[in-house]
Amino acid sequence: MIKKIKASRSEKIIFSFVIILAIITFGSYFLIKNKCLFIKNYDPRKITFQDPDNIVILNVSCGNVIIELYPNLAPNSVYRFKKLINSGEYNNVAFHRVIKNMLVQAGDLEYGKKDNLNYSKIGTGKSGYGTINSELDYPFDFKKGSVGLARTNKKNTEDSQFFILLKDVPLFEGEYSPVGKVLYGLEVLEKIKFNDKSEYVLRPDFINEFYILSEKN
Amino acid sequence: MKKAIIIILLLMNFNSINADVIFDLIKIPNLEIYDIKTPNKLRYLYAKQPFTLGIDKNINCYNSKKVILEQKYKLIKKNLNRYTQEFLNKINLKYIVMCEDLSISNINTAGIPDNTMKTLILDIKFDENYFERVIHHEVFHIINDTFKEVFDEKAWSNINIKEFEYAECSTCTDKLGLDTYANTNGFFSEYSQSTASEDMAEVFSHLMIGTNLNNSDLILEKKIQFIKNSLLKIDKNFIL
Repeated sequence: MIKKIKASRSEKIIFSFVIILAIITFGSYFLIKNKCLFIKNYDPRKITFQDPDNIVILNVSCGNVIIELYPNLAPNSVYRFKKLINSGEYNNVAFHRVIKNMLVQAGDLEYGKKDNLNYSKIGTGKSGYGTINSELDYPFDFKKGSVGLARTNKKNTEDSQFFILLKDVPLFEGEYSPVGKVLYGLEVLEKIKFNDKSEYVLRPDFINEFYILSEKN
Repeated sequence: MKKAIIIILLLMNFNSINADVIFDLIKIPNLEIYDIKTPNKLRYLYAKQPFTLGIDKNINCYNSKKVILEQKYKLIKKNLNRYTQEFLNKINLKYIVMCEDLSISNINTAGIPDNTMKTLILDIKFDENYFERVIHHEVFHIINDTFKEVFDEKAWSNINIKEFEYAECSTCTDKLGLDTYANTNGFFSEYSQSTASEDMAEVFSHLMIGTNLNNSDLILEKKIQFIKNSLLKIDKNFIL
């Protein structure tokens, strides 16, 4: 006859503890791994816009960023930006310069493409369309979510690179050409990969797709 | 062991990247915004900590007490508000850096203009007798550096008597006095006699603070006209 051995109270406690620990461990693993958890993904088709020709959608790993463009403030800059968006040239381009809680920068079409990433030159590439002049005539409040064209240390060197601010930077007024502002999805950009020790990112995140709302079927 | 871990953690913290927007824009470290909501869009910055500049690290300036900063800021702003945003855009001046005990190679100076960085560093502890005037003196250097062709030094030098010669540089001479002469003789001050550029800056700064000539001085009158005409070439609306 097999005698049933009853687990002692302390054994039961240890067993329960191990089970809880296992649940927490596995749960945390999936929670931590999914950086996009709790990030709302906005569907532009479910939102009505007055001027869809000047609404662009930046799709990245955690979802959509919906940006309104301001052609009245910086017509040439917005024209260049839309041209590159419409031609799909920003797709699969890296967010090569990311400063935590400050800005994300992308748009190096020469050295920032996923299939042709050049870490030694990233940030210096050109679009092939030439540079355009800075457009700084109109006042613009560079608040969180503002989108501007990046440039070298000199004015009138804007090309394809752009930045999106993650905080208010009023000193950028009169320094950078403003092209638009994020309407929805800024929190998506706060999840873009950054490096604590450098502005430049090793194995960066990429733009999945960038498109003009009115051009999308 | 514990100490070593703490040190490593601290080092990691100190090494982490911090965005310094001001440094990115004008390449001067340790600055903070003092006031940027100004009518002519000048951005006033102040040294939060001492800073050193230059390839040889020969430019130094120090942070000030809040009280001094407040007091001098009012004076600086009052004087610089006389320049319109359009004029400042033309001459490439946008950032005013306020600090104290400014020096280049250990020589104290009232200001360091840098039109390429659109920046003017001002020593807010500079001699109070000349403080407001030297603000305009330094602004003139920005104007001059941006419009070198307008302020022809040879033409300027020809206004002086034939026997007079300027020094090679402003620090190559002991003519450093900033007191305005009671009776001028072609020059507003001793410092005017150092170089053509400093002479122009002295004339400009005296005009800006409204100094009148006490005596008949044909040379200085010609210099005043030269400055006025040159300024009108840059901005036809410029009012002295």
